[in-house]
Amino acid sequence: MPKRSLVIDLDRCSGCDSCVVACKFENSVALGNYWTTVVPVKPTGTHPDIDMYWVPMQCQQCENSPCVGACPTGASYRDSENNVVLINKEECTGCKSCLAACPYSDPEGNQKPSVRWFNEEEGVTEKCTLCNHLTAASDGVENTNDTSDPAHAVPPCVHNCSCGARSFGDLDDPNSAASKVLAQAETDGRKVCIIEAEGVMPATRYILSEEIATWRGLGE
Amino acid sequence: MRETTLTRRSFVKAAAVAGAALTAGATLTGCLKEGGDTQGGGASGRAMYVSICHGCIQACPCKVYVENGVVVKIEGHPDAPTNQGSLCIKGLNQIHTCYSPRRVLYPLKRTGARGANDATWERVSWDDAIELAASKIAEAIEKYGTYAFFASVGGGGAYSFMQAMTTPMALGSPTVFEPGCAQCYLPRITEAAYMYGGADQSIADCAVLEPFKGLAPLEEAKGVTQDTKVLVLWAAQPSVSQTAQSGRGMAELRARGCKTIVVDPNFSPDAVKATIHLPVRPGADAALILAWYRVILDEKLYDEEFTKFFTNIPFLINPDTKLPWLATEVIEGYTPPADMPENTPVYVCVDENTGEVAPLPFGDAATVSQSVNPQVLATATVGGLESKSAGQIYRDEAEPWTLEKAEEFCWVPADRIRAAIDLYTGAEVAGIANGVASDMEETASQVPVGLMGLDMIMGYINKPGATMTQNGPLPAEGEAPRPTMFWNGFGGMFGQMYGIGYEVGATKEANEARIQAIEDGANPDAPPFQNGPTLYAMNQLLLDRLGMKNHRGLYNWCHSHIPSVREAIETGEPFKPRVWFDMSGNKFAVLGSAGAWYNAIMDDGVDFIICQYPMITSFQIEVADLIFPLEEWLEATGASEFGQLNYAFPSPGVIHLGETVPNSVPPKRVIDAASVKLNEKLGSITFGGTGKTIEEMNLQFPLGLGVMGGINSEEEVWATQIAAFGPVLGLAEGATRDDYLEAARDRADAYNVTPPDQYWTYGQHLVTANDGLPVGFATESRKCEVYNTLHIKLSRTGWPYCYPRELGPIDPRAGTWDGEYSPICNVPVQKEVPEIANGGDFVAPFDPEFPLAITSGRVYYFHHGTMRHAPFARELYPAPLVRINSKTAADYGIADGDWVEISSRRTQGTDFVHGTGLEAAYSGIKEQNTKTAEPIRAIAYVAEVVAPNVLWMERFWNPECYDSTQSTKTGGWQECNVNVITNAIDCNFNEVFGSYTNRGFTVNIKKSEKPANVWVEPKEFAPFMPTTTNEYAPDDIGVAIENKELLTPIVSFPDAAPAEGGQ
Repeated sequence: MPKRSLVIDLDRCSGCDSCVVACKFENSVALGNYWTTVVPVKPTGTHPDIDMYWVPMQCQQCENSPCVGACPTGASYRDSENNVVLINKEECTGCKSCLAACPYSDPEGNQKPSVRWFNEEEGVTEKCTLCNHLTAASDGVENTNDTSDPAHAVPPCVHNCSCGARSFGDLDDPNSAASKVLAQAETDGRKVCIIEAEGVMPATRYILSEEIATWRGLGE
Repeated sequence: MRETTLTRRSFVKAAAVAGAALTAGATLTGCLKEGGDTQGGGASGRAMYVSICHGCIQACPCKVYVENGVVVKIEGHPDAPTNQGSLCIKGLNQIHTCYSPRRVLYPLKRTGARGANDATWERVSWDDAIELAASKIAEAIEKYGTYAFFASVGGGGAYSFMQAMTTPMALGSPTVFEPGCAQCYLPRITEAAYMYGGADQSIADCAVLEPFKGLAPLEEAKGVTQDTKVLVLWAAQPSVSQTAQSGRGMAELRARGCKTIVVDPNFSPDAVKATIHLPVRPGADAALILAWYRVILDEKLYDEEFTKFFTNIPFLINPDTKLPWLATEVIEGYTPPADMPENTPVYVCVDENTGEVAPLPFGDAATVSQSVNPQVLATATVGGLESKSAGQIYRDEAEPWTLEKAEEFCWVPADRIRAAIDLYTGAEVAGIANGVASDMEETASQVPVGLMGLDMIMGYINKPGATMTQNGPLPAEGEAPRPTMFWNGFGGMFGQMYGIGYEVGATKEANEARIQAIEDGANPDAPPFQNGPTLYAMNQLLLDRLGMKNHRGLYNWCHSHIPSVREAIETGEPFKPRVWFDMSGNKFAVLGSAGAWYNAIMDDGVDFIICQYPMITSFQIEVADLIFPLEEWLEATGASEFGQLNYAFPSPGVIHLGETVPNSVPPKRVIDAASVKLNEKLGSITFGGTGKTIEEMNLQFPLGLGVMGGINSEEEVWATQIAAFGPVLGLAEGATRDDYLEAARDRADAYNVTPPDQYWTYGQHLVTANDGLPVGFATESRKCEVYNTLHIKLSRTGWPYCYPRELGPIDPRAGTWDGEYSPICNVPVQKEVPEIANGGDFVAPFDPEFPLAITSGRVYYFHHGTMRHAPFARELYPAPLVRINSKTAADYGIADGDWVEISSRRTQGTDFVHGTGLEAAYSGIKEQNTKTAEPIRAIAYVAEVVAPNVLWMERFWNPECYDSTQSTKTGGWQECNVNVITNAIDCNFNEVFGSYTNRGFTVNIKKSEKPANVWVEPKEFAPFMPTTTNEYAPDDIGVAIENKELLTPIVSFPDAAPAEGGQ
C-alpha cells in the first residue's frame, strides 16, 4: 500500500506560517481552523545557551489510523487508490469520535495544537487531505513548468514553503521527492524523527540535526 | 479609452446590480463574474499570469491565477532564482488585501470633523477631487508662500518615493519626509557612497546579492557557483523580514554549509540556525564593532595589501583639520608623478621600511609598493604636529574595548565574540550583511561606517563570495574614466539634472566650470530645466530644508528631519508647513513618538491633508481630508522591471477594481492643476527662503522637471511593461494592455534573464582606467575611505551637497567627534539604558523608573504598517507579542500569555510642551516632560529568547478599532503600537542622519488587561474577509467582488493641458 506523507526538514523551517495560509486559501479553511499549524518548540536552557525549532503539524497519515476505526459512519476512510487518510464530509455527522481517537487532536477540534478541526458552520470535522484533489495521481516530483500537472502536483503548502522545508510523496516509492530527501538526510547523518504516539505509526517524518537543536517532540 | 470610465450613469447602474447582489460571505473561488475584456483571463476559464509580489521591500516572482476576472490563487514562481517557488504569508495574503472591504475604491472627501469617531466620507468624482486638492495647495501657497506645502511617503505599500520627493520641489518647497529614510536604509546606502561609491551591506534592500547566486538549479546548470562560505548577519533577520526571498536564500545557503554569525538581541530564526549567535544588548553594537577592530588591528588579521594600497587607513591625518595631509603640503618641493592626474591627490604615510614620512600615490599595489611600504598603525611629526595614521586613530578609539570590556558592556560572552572574529577573519572570503537596527539608534552612522570598514580592511570587497560586490558588465581595459560621484537624490540625479552638488572625484576647476556653464546657459544641449534660476532655487531648498543645520546625511535622499518638521508645525518656526500630501500608509503606526504627531496635527494645526492609499488606515480615518484611491499590487502595473538577481519579471495589473489609479497619477495631475492656478499669480507668490516672488526669481510652476515618475494615466505604465516584456512574448510595438493580457496568458516564461557573465562580475576597482591607473573608487582619494573624510567636510559646510553655496558648521552639541561628525566608528552616548556595570561616559545615567531595554524587529506577518486588516494574518498574530526573558517576567509577576502594559517617558510624567523637543535633545536636558499618549499594551511571550532586562516587540495598529461595530471608534494606533513609546522627541539624534530612537530605549512593564476594542479571537476578524460590502462607500455600491460592474477597465483621464514649467 502506498504510504503518502510529508517529510519536513526542521533544519530549514523558520516557523513562518506560509504553509498555514497557503493551505487556508487552497482549501477555504474557516477562520479559527487550521489544517496545518506550526508549533514553536520554545527554548530550554538559560539564555544565551539555548536552542529551539518549529514543528509544522498536520494529519500524520498514521499507518494504523485510529480515526478510521473510531468513525461510526465510515466518514473517516482511506482512499482506495492511494491509501491517503481522508474524511468524507457528506458522511460525517460531527460526532467528534475521530477527534477523541486521534492522539494529535484537540477533543473538541477547536484549539491548537490539533490536526483535526471541527467546522462549526457545517457541523463536520475536517483535516489535511494532502490536497488529494490536486495530488491524487501525483508522484510528488513537481513539474515546475506546470504546477497544476496532475501527474506531478504537490500541495500548495509544499510548493510555497518559504524555506524549501517540505517534501511530499509516497515513502514506499524511492523515487518520490519525499523519499529522496529522507534518503539524503540519512546519508548526511541527520536525525529523522517522528512525533510518537502509542501504536499509531505516523507516516510523517521530521529531520533535525543535533547542531541546530535537540529533538524533544512538541516540547512541554 | 479617453474618458473617465465610471461615469455618473454607470455608477447608478452599478448601484442597482449591487443592491440585488447583497449577500454575505462571498468566497473567492465560488464567484462567477464576467470581467469583460479588460480583466485578465477574460470571461472564460482560468488564466495564469507571471507577476512579481509587492508584499515587502523585496520582490518574489510568482504566478497569479485569474478566473473570470477574479484572482483566485497566487503561488511562487519555480523559475525564480532565489525564492524558487516559495511565497510567504505576506504574498499569499495579497488576495485579501486586494479584495478587502477596507479598500478605498473611489475618491473620498471627509464630510465631518477630523477624528476616527466622527469620520464620515462622501464619494466625489476624480475631477472634483483633483480640483479640490489643487485649490487647497494653491490657496496656501498664494497666502503663505511656497514653503507652506509639504509631502510625505513611507509606511508600507503603494510606494511613491520619487513622486513624494519631487512634488514639493516642483512647487518650490523643501519639505518632504518618510518615516523610514533616516530610520531605515538611508544611513547604510549613504555611508557606502561616502566610503567607496558602491553597493552597501543591506540584504533587505537588495544591495547584497552575491551570497544568493548559484542556489537555483537553473543557474547551477549554467555553471554559476555559490561562493559565500561565511556570512555575518549583523542585525538582520532575512528569514522573517524577507521570508520567501532572502529567507529562502538563507535556508539554501545554510543547507550548502555556509557558516553564519548572527548579531541580534533576539533569538530570531536566523539566530536559531546560526553557527555563532551574538545576542548584543540593544544599542551596544558600536562597542562590539570596536572590539572586533581592536583584535583585527592588533593581530594583523586584516588584508595587508588591500588595506595598504586601496584604503586610506595608512594616511597620516592632520590633527587640526582632521583631514589627511597632502604630500604637497608636507614634503618640501614635492611634485606628484607626471602621470598622476590632478583629480587623484597624493597623500602621505609612514614608510614601514624607512620609518620616514613618504608620499603614498594611488596606483596598483605592485607598482606603488616598489617606492613605499605604508605603515597601518603609525604616528609621526608632520608640519610640526603629531599626526597619527587613520589606522592608529581607529586603534586608539578601540582601546577601551577589550573582549572582557565588550562582554560587560554588550552582554555577549567574550569567548563567543572571539570565536566570531576568528570565523570571520579566518575565511578565504566572508562578508557582513548589515540590517536596519542601527538606523533606528544613536549609532545610525557609526555602525555602517564600522561594518563596511571591517569588510574593507579584510579585503572582502569586489570578490566572489563577499557582500560588497557590484553587478553588471565590467568596463573594457583602458576605457573607464576615473570614477566620480554626484550628490543630491538617489544616485545624485538632482546634481546631474540641476547642477547642485560637488562632483566628488572631479577637480575643483572642473566643478567650477560645470556650474559656470549652467549659469551662463553655455551648453546648447542642456535640457530646458538646467539653468541658472532653477539651480539657484534648488540650491536654496537645500539650505532651507528643515533639520539640515545639524543632520546633513538626509540630503542624500533630499528629505527633511522628521522631528524638525513636527516642531515647525508646532511652532510655525522657521516656517509653518500647512498643506500636506501624504503618499503611502499609516503614519501613526510608523512615525516615532506617534502621539506627538497626532497632537501636533490636532492642536497646532495642519490646514488640509491629502492622502493617497489603497486602504483606510489610522492616519486616514483620523486626519485625512481627501483620499485618492490607489491600485493594489494585483491591479497595479509596474513602471519598471522588477528583478531578482539577474532575472527581471513583469508586474502586470491583471484585474482592476472601482476607480483606483496607479500611485504615480494623482501627484502629477494635482501638481499640474495647481501649477496652472499658481502661474496666473507669479508676481505675488513668495518663494519661501528668498523673500522674492517667483517672477523675480525668473521661475514658473512646476519648477524644474516637475513630478518625476508622475504620469497622466495608466496607459503610460503599460507602455513601459510592454516595451520590457513585449519581445519575450512576441508582441509588436504599439501593443496594448489587452494585447499583453492575451499574449501573456499561461506563459510561465514571461521574464527576462541577463547572462550570468554579464551580471556577476568582480574586481571593478582593478580594471585599468583611461588614465592608466586602476579604476579605484569614487572618493576624493580614489581609495576606500575607511576613515570617512566626507563626514568632516559635510559637518563644516554641507559639502558636497550644497555646492556651489555653503551652510555654516553644525551645532557642536550635535557632533560626537569634537563637535563634528565622527569619521570612524565611535560609541556615542546612549540616552536611555538599562543598568550597565561600569558604563561610564558611554551611557547616560540609569533611570530606575524605566529599567528595561526594548528593541524591535519584524514579524513574518506584516511589512512595515501593512496587512493588519488581512484576516488570515491577524487570526495567527492578532496582537503584538512582547518577548520577555523568563527571569524578568518572574520579577514582574508576568506569565506567558498575559496582557501587559508598557510605558516609557513618552507616556509618563507631565505633558510634552510643544516646540521644546529639539533644544532638549541637543542640550542633553535630562528632566523629560514628554508625555504624549497613554501607555500601550501587548501580550507577553515569556521565554529565554532575549536576555534578562531586554524586551522585543514589533510595531502594530488595529484597524478593528474603527470598525462599524465598535460603539466608540478610535484610530487604532494608540492601543498596541510600540511607536507610541519610541523616542523621536528628545533622544540623541544620530549626528549625520538625525535618526531618532525607535530601538534601544527604556521602558517599564506591568501586568494589565486586553484593550476592550482589540480583537483576538479568530472569528472576530470575519468583517475583514472579502464580502459583498465595502466599509467606505455607500451600502448600495461598495461591492468589491460580487459586483461585475466594479470589475472595471482602468481609469483613463481626458487629456489635460499640461502645465508648462521649469522654463
